[in-house]
Amino acid sequence: MAIQLVRQPPDQAPAATTPDAGALGNALSFEDVYMQFPDGTHTLDGVSLALKPGEFVAVVGPSGCGKSTLLKIASGLVTHTGGTVHVDRNNLGYTFQDATLLPWRKVRENVELLMELRGFSPAERARIAQEQIDLVGLTGFENHYPKRLSGGMRMRASLARSLALNPSVFMFDEPFGALDEITRERLNDELISLYMRQGFTGLFITHSIPEAVYLSTKVVVMSKRPGRIVATFDVPFSYPRSPELRYAPQFSELCGDISVALRDAIEK
Amino acid sequence: MANAPVAIPQVYAAVPRAEQPSVASRILQSVLPPVLMGLVLVVVYIWARNSLEPHRQFLMPDAAGLWTQAFGLAEVRWELLDRGLTTITIAVVGMGVSIPIGMILGIVMFRFHVMEKAFFPYLVALQSIPILAIIPLIQSALGFGFMPKVLIVALFTFFAIPTTLLLGLKSTDRGIIDLFKLQGVNWLVILRKAGLPSAAPALFAGLRISAGLAVIGAIVSELFFLAGRGGLGQMLINAKMDFKYEQMYAALIASSALSIAVYLFFSWLGNRLFADWHESGGKSA
Repeated sequence: MAIQLVRQPPDQAPAATTPDAGALGNALSFEDVYMQFPDGTHTLDGVSLALKPGEFVAVVGPSGCGKSTLLKIASGLVTHTGGTVHVDRNNLGYTFQDATLLPWRKVRENVELLMELRGFSPAERARIAQEQIDLVGLTGFENHYPKRLSGGMRMRASLARSLALNPSVFMFDEPFGALDEITRERLNDELISLYMRQGFTGLFITHSIPEAVYLSTKVVVMSKRPGRIVATFDVPFSYPRSPELRYAPQFSELCGDISVALRDAIEK
Repeated sequence: MANAPVAIPQVYAAVPRAEQPSVASRILQSVLPPVLMGLVLVVVYIWARNSLEPHRQFLMPDAAGLWTQAFGLAEVRWELLDRGLTTITIAVVGMGVSIPIGMILGIVMFRFHVMEKAFFPYLVALQSIPILAIIPLIQSALGFGFMPKVLIVALFTFFAIPTTLLLGLKSTDRGIIDLFKLQGVNWLVILRKAGLPSAAPALFAGLRISAGLAVIGAIVSELFFLAGRGGLGQMLINAKMDFKYEQMYAALIASSALSIAVYLFFSWLGNRLFADWHESGGKSA
């Protein structure tokens, strides 16, 4: 398994490392992907989606439409039953719906976990962990157990843990869904600055249309199960994005259009 | 339109903030109930003793008798200590057998579902065997030495270990396991770094149960083994046969104290190990 120890310069998008994905010019792509679970549940019905390096794509769709399954397929946690996926699994970041911190480990030890599993040296681990902890604003909480952190801080620690491996593709499975509105908006801004700094390719699952629009370069709408992509919206706003953007007329208009597409997707 | 009933507001007065109870009264509230309950038990004991016919009162010795015939005598105190050590040795060695075997079985049942299917019914069956009833059989097969007693303790303490460990391992957060899988690590790493730490509090609950049973098992094991220098169980039987009921009570009290001490030790250890991070821990968030 390739270990990427060299950190990418922030202004340069990470190069795709598998020849396959490189040939297509995409960091991650799904081609006509089908998913049927052993119990017969038909979850995905021919999903095609390609992410260019440095793109940030948000996926919205009704509950149970298979949004999360897309991420599980890309990462290899489940195997799709039809179609093709191009992905570099060695440089993949994955953030779950909850922080999934190990409760018996302090924040620093949690941030070091993935590096530990990848065989980084202790000194390297400590250095990178501190860097990432500072980056997500958890300085001073290194020796706290997760139990003593707020929901937002846990999620920051979880992000730091994934960022420590400097992923070229970063997938998010509704990471901020359980947080309050204020914390969520702050973490959205922090995520944007991390994205601008690291230059990863992002695939972000969410239930919130404003969150999807605020974060991404492209919003994809999925139908109810079995999930298909029914609409795609390009987001024209440039980065960095300021919180005022949420109250701009164009922002509301785009959210409205996506909302209409989503309602159509649910009713059809 | 107007279907809703008409609201009839009532007056709800505020209640002034209650005074924080003082430290002394809080201590009193936590100490007084068990002390009072203890006094009630002593009174009940005295009442029961006094309602016995005089020639049967030896069945329930009084405090003076316990002191002059047992705890006050240096040789009885030494005997209690010496035999207590023998009992605790049997209990500890018995657990030294059941804990590793039980843990390995728990892990194997977790790893291979088919092994769980195969073993679990027999674990339950083992638990349902009245171990007392098979002690004579163990005696016939293995004799009167140290090992048969250890085996009896191991049988007493075994069940809780694989079952609680299996339960703990099974309740490891799916997300955490996925997180490890995504890094492509093998199963042993997942077990060591995710499964076992996550299952440790459940396992400790099992160990606490087993530890209490270990002392009971050690004492029971000796009731049938009167040869040689035994522990508190043998002292119980010997004192009964010599009609030294005060000494029998002394051995009984020592056995309970031993059981409680072992239980408290595991509680303390568990609390120390898990207080920082587990819900069952002492410190709150």
